[in-house]
Amino acid sequence: MIQILAGIQNTTAALQAEQTRLNVISENIANANTAHGVDGKPYQRQVVVFATALQQAMNADGSTATPALKVASIEKDTRDPVQIYDPGNPDADARGMISMPNINIHEEMADLISASRTFEANLAVVKNSRSMAMQTLAIGKH
Amino acid sequence: MIEALFNQPGYLAAKKTLDAVALRQEAVANNIVNLETPGYKRVDLAPAFQTELERACASGDARQIASLNPTLAPDPNAVASSLDGNSVHLENELMQLNQNSTTHALETELVSNMLSRMRLAITGKS
Repeated sequence: MIQILAGIQNTTAALQAEQTRLNVISENIANANTAHGVDGKPYQRQVVVFATALQQAMNADGSTATPALKVASIEKDTRDPVQIYDPGNPDADARGMISMPNINIHEEMADLISASRTFEANLAVVKNSRSMAMQTLAIGKH
Repeated sequence: MIEALFNQPGYLAAKKTLDAVALRQEAVANNIVNLETPGYKRVDLAPAFQTELERACASGDARQIASLNPTLAPDPNAVASSLDGNSVHLENELMQLNQNSTTHALETELVSNMLSRMRLAITGKS
């Protein structure tokens, strides 16, 4: 297929990767107070790991292959659960402490803003490429 | 096809610039894709292209202009601003993106005008 919009496949990959990141962040925020996860332990923060997939196919004119972005894996944050003093809680141990998820809501919010800004920047590229393609198609129409 | 019709240096130079603009769009798109990739070095048009195009235009030789070929190369002047070694700056890239699309608008307009002038010369009406 001919490519009307140059370099748009990589931008699409990046938009999908950022979408995954936004999903993981929302999951983290939703579970900020989940003391009992699926395994019975406090919920562990998840982080998305990005990787570049070097495009194997070289461009026809032999120019540099440009790396695309993809989600390599979703890892668990290994920081320890936060200990909170709450003696009235049924989960409290002998010292009155309970384990809560290792999620810092401020950190998640900052991450959320960063992810949505990157998403917007990629979207700006799509819009720009589109208007350029429309101009190219209008060559000779006068 | 009558080759001589489309061999004026100005027309060829505008076409080459359009090629370069399309390639540059790809470079900027990739830089924005890899905004948060550790160790990524921003790419841009190889700086040699502009000087070669200027030289070819100054010589006025159509064949010399037609033989030019824009390529992408890692930007040697880009400085990494963060510890992860990534040398992409979002505001810089967005600026380049807008400059690029303005150049594209100018060049497409130029090519269109040249074609319509040629049509005017052939038919006597535009």
